[in-house]
Amino acid sequence: MNLHEIPPIGRLPMLILGMICLLTAVLGGLARLAIDVPSFAQYQAGAHGALMIAGFFGTVISLERAVALHRFWPYLAPLCAGLGGVVLLAPFPVVVSPILFCLSGALFLVASWLVYRQMPAIFTFTLFLGALSLLLGNLVWLLRAEVSVAMPFWMSFLVLTIAGERLELTRLLPPKPIGRLIFIGLLGFIVLAACLILFVVPHATQLLAASWLILALWLLRYDIARRTVRQTGLTRFVAVCLLLGYGWLAVGGFLGLVGAFENGHPWRDSALHAIFLGFVFSMVIGHAAIIFPAVMRVKIPYHPFFYLPLAALQLSLLVRVVGNLGDLWVLRQAGGLLNGLSLALFVLTILASVIRGAASWRVTA
Amino acid sequence: MNVDAKPLLTPELIRNKLRSVVDPEVGVNIVDLGLVYQVDVAEGAVKVLLTMTSPACPLSDLVIADAESVLCAAVDDAVQVNIELVWSPPWDPSMMSDKARENLGW
Repeated sequence: MNLHEIPPIGRLPMLILGMICLLTAVLGGLARLAIDVPSFAQYQAGAHGALMIAGFFGTVISLERAVALHRFWPYLAPLCAGLGGVVLLAPFPVVVSPILFCLSGALFLVASWLVYRQMPAIFTFTLFLGALSLLLGNLVWLLRAEVSVAMPFWMSFLVLTIAGERLELTRLLPPKPIGRLIFIGLLGFIVLAACLILFVVPHATQLLAASWLILALWLLRYDIARRTVRQTGLTRFVAVCLLLGYGWLAVGGFLGLVGAFENGHPWRDSALHAIFLGFVFSMVIGHAAIIFPAVMRVKIPYHPFFYLPLAALQLSLLVRVVGNLGDLWVLRQAGGLLNGLSLALFVLTILASVIRGAASWRVTA
Repeated sequence: MNVDAKPLLTPELIRNKLRSVVDPEVGVNIVDLGLVYQVDVAEGAVKVLLTMTSPACPLSDLVIADAESVLCAAVDDAVQVNIELVWSPPWDPSMMSDKARENLGW
């Protein structure tokens, strides 16, 4: 182990920066739905996506990778991502935030390349492509300040990162050569779509959406979740989160396929949040009890209560999507508010579990 | 390799103890997953070499800590427990036990 590695307590400031990004992003999102929020967050309504993806996810995912790599410098990636979000709240020139995000993305890309070099495989290459997407999204935001062009790259960052990690676990199952070929074909498809999006070719986001739809079906077919959902406790809970997430990825992919990833499309809210809230956050809720203890070295004992924030997120997202697709503004707004409250419930559940874990530690010690 | 310490420490006993460290994602323990590469038992010391399925997995420190606490509870205080993370050879599905493979549909 490297002596210069950051100990868990040293990772806490990065996590706090990430949580500030998350809170501001959620409040900024609520401001977009015409809900009253504190003024500091109201000013960030336009940076909702940047704060959520480049800020919050940029921080936590690069932190997770830094922990895996056992070196000092990869920790600079979550530090820059967290700071990149927080400087938006302070009177800095507007360019400082995207520069920090780009720096973070570049460091994360090098860290992901290191992972690939350590174990060259399709799954580590997929993780590398995910990191490349984050850097490209951040560069687009820096150079063109166009969220609509940055967004598909930010989306690809999260979808590819999750897909790479899930692909890794399929190695535990008997090999499926056709499944492997389909996955490789999909990666090519995604790279092509991303190149077209970069040059603002019409309908390119629909190509990306088609990839997400096929990927969702691929995950439903080949992921270990279909098998582990028959187990008990935390293992089953994770599998339930995954399977629900794949359903939302399919919904988002389908909506994107009919053009809803495009700026100004009336269903854009549903398409984006099916992916980011339905797919990505279901994954986060499922894995928090595994990853958080690994990063912070705290205990998070499983409790069936974990299903509550998960159910709250699923139902509130359903309300929001129905409100959006049915053009029922009040429903969409209520769904969005309940989305935010579901995430708050999730964070509280994790904090309560950490306290419960510490208490059980003292009892057994 | 083998010892006459009390309780009688054998690589097999150590492996059995390590079976309580479970990968929560898969619900299978690290021994049956084939992550425990080598167990050496010498007088006053236990050395374990283990790997992870992916270099991007942040769980290694936690798995090592869990394995350490399981082994420290199982052996005399005087016995030194040393667990090392290795990446060579890279993990391969053929390293899983027959039981794990059966559970996973092989």
